Amino acid sequence: MMQNTSSIKAVPAATPVPRPGVRLLLLPLVILAGMGLSVEAGVLGPLGEQVGHLWATLSIFGVGSAILFLFTLLSGPRPGPALSDLPRWQLMGSFLGPVYVVVLTLVTPMIGIAMTMIAILCGQVGKSVLIDHFGWFGATRKPVNTERWIALALIVVALVLIARGDA
Amino acid sequence: MSLFLLLLVVVGAGAVLSVQAAINGKLGQSVGVLRSSLLTFVVGAVITALLIVFFEPAQAVSLMDVPKWQLSGALFGVTYMLVMVGAVPRIGAAVATVAVIVGQLGMGMLIDNFGWLGNPAIELSGSRMLAMACLALALVFMYRSSTRDA
Repeated sequence: MMQNTSSIKAVPAATPVPRPGVRLLLLPLVILAGMGLSVEAGVLGPLGEQVGHLWATLSIFGVGSAILFLFTLLSGPRPGPALSDLPRWQLMGSFLGPVYVVVLTLVTPMIGIAMTMIAILCGQVGKSVLIDHFGWFGATRKPVNTERWIALALIVVALVLIARGDA
Repeated sequence: MSLFLLLLVVVGAGAVLSVQAAINGKLGQSVGVLRSSLLTFVVGAVITALLIVFFEPAQAVSLMDVPKWQLSGALFGVTYMLVMVGAVPRIGAAVATVAVIVGQLGMGMLIDNFGWLGNPAIELSGSRMLAMACLALALVFMYRSSTRDA
């Protein structure tokens, strides 16, 4: 739900296997997963209007926690350090999740799902360009190439087009 | 005017999201994706619960009264996460990112156009089509810049 463009990059890329068959099978699956994100936003908006935005947000985090708890339990012991051994700031990311979901429930009924998604995308790409560029939060610092900036500009243009068309 | 403010808020939420993703990416590398996601969801639930206790006005309708499918949002989020964990190492982060966004926006347009899931219907206008074209172009640029870095 709340990990999008830059978290995908953060997943350690283990041995890339360029097998065309697998790729063709996986691609529709990934597109479906992306469609799921919009469905989630679509479900949240009307739900928030009925039961209150914070309750709708709680339904996401409550159900999500329960499912993930079961998965963690069933997947057996994990290697790696305990959460309490890690630097505090690495745990801070969790505090930011509710911001996104609350905004989603508040805004989708007012501006529609497509515009919400594009605005989110705009913020993500803009911010991840900055994070990469300056190497914040322990990300590897690398200068952002022109193509990224062009992509960002195009996303902003799309946002303006939709906003003006609907207003 | 208010639309502009709303958009600013949502763009800000997207920015927050990518900060979270950057921090969680680090966390996921050391403790595993399942555990870092579990932490995200549990802390999110606790914070939301606290906010409800102190700030939420009483609602006439509770979560238990709405149709059950309206509570299914989290299933899509968790499925997305698991698909990504499985797919990214095999098809590459750049392709996965583009595929997700294509699915996200396509579905967003569909839900808006038909007013599915109880949402207000917003017609697929000419400027929306044009916006999609811009986004497609943006994705091409993002894809090219990521593959060059890799």
